Amino acid sequence: MLYQPQILEEALTLKADLGGDVDALAGGTDLLVALSRGQWRPKNVLDLSRVVERSEIRKADSRFSLAHGVTHAQLTRLPVRALAEAALSIGGPQIRNRGTLAGNLGTASPAGDGCVALLALHAEMELTRAGRGSRRLPVRDFFLDYRRTELRPEELITRVVVPADWTSAWHKIGKRGSVNISVVCAAVARSPQGRFGVAFGSVGPYPLTAPKTEALLNAAALTPELIDEAAAMAQTEVSPISDHRASAAYRRAMCGTLLRRLLTEHFLNGRD
Amino acid sequence: MATTPAPPPVTDKPLIEPSPTPYADPPPSPVGASARRLDGLEKVTGEALYAADFFPREADLFATILRSHEAHAEVLSIDTAPAMKVAGVVGVYTHVDVPGTNRQGLIKRDHPVLVEDRVRYKGDALAVVVATSESAAHAGRDAIRVRYRPLPVVGSIDDALAPKAPKLFPNGNVMGGKRIRKGDADRALAEADVVVSETFQTQTVDHAFLDVEAGIARWDGRTLVIHASGQWVHEERRLIALALGLPIEQVRVIQPATGGAFGGREDLGMQVHVGLAALKHPGKTIALRYDRAESMRARHKRHALRIHYTLGARGDGTLTAAKVTVFSDEGAYASTGPAVIRKASSHATGPYRVPNVHVDVYGVYTNNNPTGAMRGFGACQLAVAYEGMIDRLARKLGMDRVELRRRNLVRSGDAVTTGQVIPLATGVECLDAVMDRFRNGGRPLEPLPPYRRRGWGVSTICFGLGYGDGFPDASRAGVRFTRDGFLEVLTGAVEYGQGLLNMVAQIAAAELGMPIEKARVIWADTGRTLESGSSSATRQTYFTGNAVKRAASELKEEILDIAGTHLHVHPHEIVLRDGLAVTRFGEPRSVPIAELVADGFNRGYELSVKALYKPATLCENFETGQSPRAFITYLFVSHLAQVVVDVETGQVTVERYIACHDVGKAINPQSVDGQITGGVAQGIGMALMEEVVMREGRMANANFTDYILPTFRDVPPVETIILENQDPGGPFGARGVGEPPLIAAVPAVLNAIHDALGVAPHTTPCNPQRVWELLHPEQAEPPADIRFRTAPPHARP
Repeated sequence: MLYQPQILEEALTLKADLGGDVDALAGGTDLLVALSRGQWRPKNVLDLSRVVERSEIRKADSRFSLAHGVTHAQLTRLPVRALAEAALSIGGPQIRNRGTLAGNLGTASPAGDGCVALLALHAEMELTRAGRGSRRLPVRDFFLDYRRTELRPEELITRVVVPADWTSAWHKIGKRGSVNISVVCAAVARSPQGRFGVAFGSVGPYPLTAPKTEALLNAAALTPELIDEAAAMAQTEVSPISDHRASAAYRRAMCGTLLRRLLTEHFLNGRD
Repeated sequence: MATTPAPPPVTDKPLIEPSPTPYADPPPSPVGASARRLDGLEKVTGEALYAADFFPREADLFATILRSHEAHAEVLSIDTAPAMKVAGVVGVYTHVDVPGTNRQGLIKRDHPVLVEDRVRYKGDALAVVVATSESAAHAGRDAIRVRYRPLPVVGSIDDALAPKAPKLFPNGNVMGGKRIRKGDADRALAEADVVVSETFQTQTVDHAFLDVEAGIARWDGRTLVIHASGQWVHEERRLIALALGLPIEQVRVIQPATGGAFGGREDLGMQVHVGLAALKHPGKTIALRYDRAESMRARHKRHALRIHYTLGARGDGTLTAAKVTVFSDEGAYASTGPAVIRKASSHATGPYRVPNVHVDVYGVYTNNNPTGAMRGFGACQLAVAYEGMIDRLARKLGMDRVELRRRNLVRSGDAVTTGQVIPLATGVECLDAVMDRFRNGGRPLEPLPPYRRRGWGVSTICFGLGYGDGFPDASRAGVRFTRDGFLEVLTGAVEYGQGLLNMVAQIAAAELGMPIEKARVIWADTGRTLESGSSSATRQTYFTGNAVKRAASELKEEILDIAGTHLHVHPHEIVLRDGLAVTRFGEPRSVPIAELVADGFNRGYELSVKALYKPATLCENFETGQSPRAFITYLFVSHLAQVVVDVETGQVTVERYIACHDVGKAINPQSVDGQITGGVAQGIGMALMEEVVMREGRMANANFTDYILPTFRDVPPVETIILENQDPGGPFGARGVGEPPLIAAVPAVLNAIHDALGVAPHTTPCNPQRVWELLHPEQAEPPADIRFRTAPPHARP
């Protein structure tokens, strides 16, 4: 059965009633591939792409509040550098027009580019269950294991909240110039108070943060020496595997390289 | 009273009107014009029917193929009963149901249509299921139970050559070999002032054409008609007939519109399987199609070659000796392997004069996907090696790379490595043209951060076109006028996007003085056209182009004869131009060719001529690899790539690209330009990103998420330079374009990386990790691809 509600309340009620028996479909850029490969045989589908308020972006208290259906294409115009660049690095124009940030979170791929930017930005998300209201949690608490998240079967991701006043930067290594899946990606962000966020993609079972590296960066003024130290530390915090996309050694080394480059180019000399 | 007649009115008009001068300027000949593609409009509007477009509207029944779950195993039993119980399934067929030889293969008939007792790769076909819907066919396929006794998997060349390796075929695991012995290479290397050595490993590549394998077949009790995309319909008909035990004349193969081939359609795909299903269900139209994953897992691939190369030279840079040993992963079946190893040996030293040559090429069976034809086969991998060696040698000698090439390139009258003398060698001209463009053009260079380095690399190659080596190589074509005034060309050759239709139409139109708009092509239908050989080996412009020109030329004699009686001059005094027969001398007078055609039919002329073009090549000597004419002619090409390498991440960006091809004569310059640009894109893909990764005999990246093809962002605008040193044997002097754009592109990019880093790449593709490992060899991990796990480490001195 295909459900295509136009009102969020209706979507939430359906999800709460059917729970695990219905799969939420946002842009479909992951699920339709799985469908055509025969890896996804849904019983019921809850299509969220017709919900009217889905594309809403609001700014309040130096935060952007992004509704569940905000697409990657919309994010490329958001003045949050890491998130905008991450969004621009996803797929091609068609994919960016369909794919959503909430969908990126829900899929919880280790290579989820949007997730990595959100982790660095210390973003928060809102999970809602009809009848019980919403709960807010840091994106950092959302990922549990490979493709396992905090999202309960009766819930939908309804909102993502991103700080608007942080400095941030993004870098992705892929095997070609566009339409790339990450071999490694990295995001760095800093609050106006000087608090750092560091995150990596494709180097663990889910998008990873680097808390020890962040602590190191938070503790002292940024110098080239501290950057080297942080780059070395970051390599100890990731757990990449070797697969057909790259070797573990390369991915680990690139975490250090990308962190050093992002910190040096965007944070060290007050650029940005 | 008699009246005087009025005098004629005085006007400026002369009393005798000259016939209209149809050409103030001579109209451009269709040869050399970028005429609009004959198939262009229907393809861009979606009118053209590709094989998959026959689904499902023309199908009565749907077929699918069960493929092996094991890379190497004895097949103990195939239980089809559960499949027959699936709703909608109307037939399940295994090898016992195949009426003919049950064998396919272009050179060796070693590939079972449906496996009898032993599977040799994860992709071998075991059964064909026919059902009333595609999903029922798939369900039936999944219900078949196969019992295997697994055998040790031969995953790599090293596995295959190990002393106790399981024998994949009764004669062992070496499929064949080819050698060249010229002079005394060992002695010359010992005496050389400078010697460089390297081991190269090229990767397995997929054709990745857009239009995945599909087809329909119908048997009416008299003729089996198959609509499916191949590259050589007449050979396909012969192989289908043999495999299915039918007389050849009872099989008809018709090519639908086709989206790319690149050699990937030279081996039969599903044609015999869909044909078998049709034989079992007379009067029904059967449809069969792959999805992308099946297309990638079932089809043959480009050979991965391991090339050990040693090159010696004098202190002044004059090459003295080359010693080359090549091992080729043939995969499970021979496919075009024997031709690939031959091409590899005959192109082992490329366009260079090397007096002492010692080449051994071996093809080795494994349990990987069969490897076969792909654009530039054999020649392309060896170009990676010889062009890489020239740059290594230049560094060691402290010599300029371009100068070293100029010093050693064959000149007109010199011989290539097979001993064949090249009457018109234009490698130096191509090289000079790209260097001139490079040094006197291009945008100002952007400054780079310290972790990005810029470099450029150049390659010069030669390529023998056609099958060569004495293999029968011919083309037949028909040219005729129709009663409605059209010029029709009939050819068995296949158009798969390369522009063949325009090539034949423009040649016929030029010869007969007809506008290209009045030309039509009937092609690749064994029921209507003659055998023209394969659309491969860069041969169709030369071979079918010549056959068409011969037929058109003879037809022209008839038209001229008729024209002579209309214009009252000797036929030799008439030229055919722009749809008119025009007198050559004096005040030009003309008559439309259409009138002459109509008159010709009235006189009982057939106005239809068939012609054969069949030049001879001579076999290479088995012991020495020498032949005075291994190939009909040679093409020369030079490319230049400028890259930026991120030395910290290993990412390579191609910034600028220049390609110079001596095509003899560009029949359609826009098509030539397109072929070159496309080949360069494909070469950049092979140099930097494309790679089939095998895991336990299964392709691990059989999708476009992980089989990485170049995008627009990876290919800069290609600056093409077309040279036209006419070939004495080619139609209007044309040679062809075909494979060389890819062959020259791969080494040009690799040499640019070498220049940027100061470290030479030896393994393709140079993806970010491989480039990074070149700079950090201590961190290199064995490739994820298990085939190469026992390959000797590429430790740098």
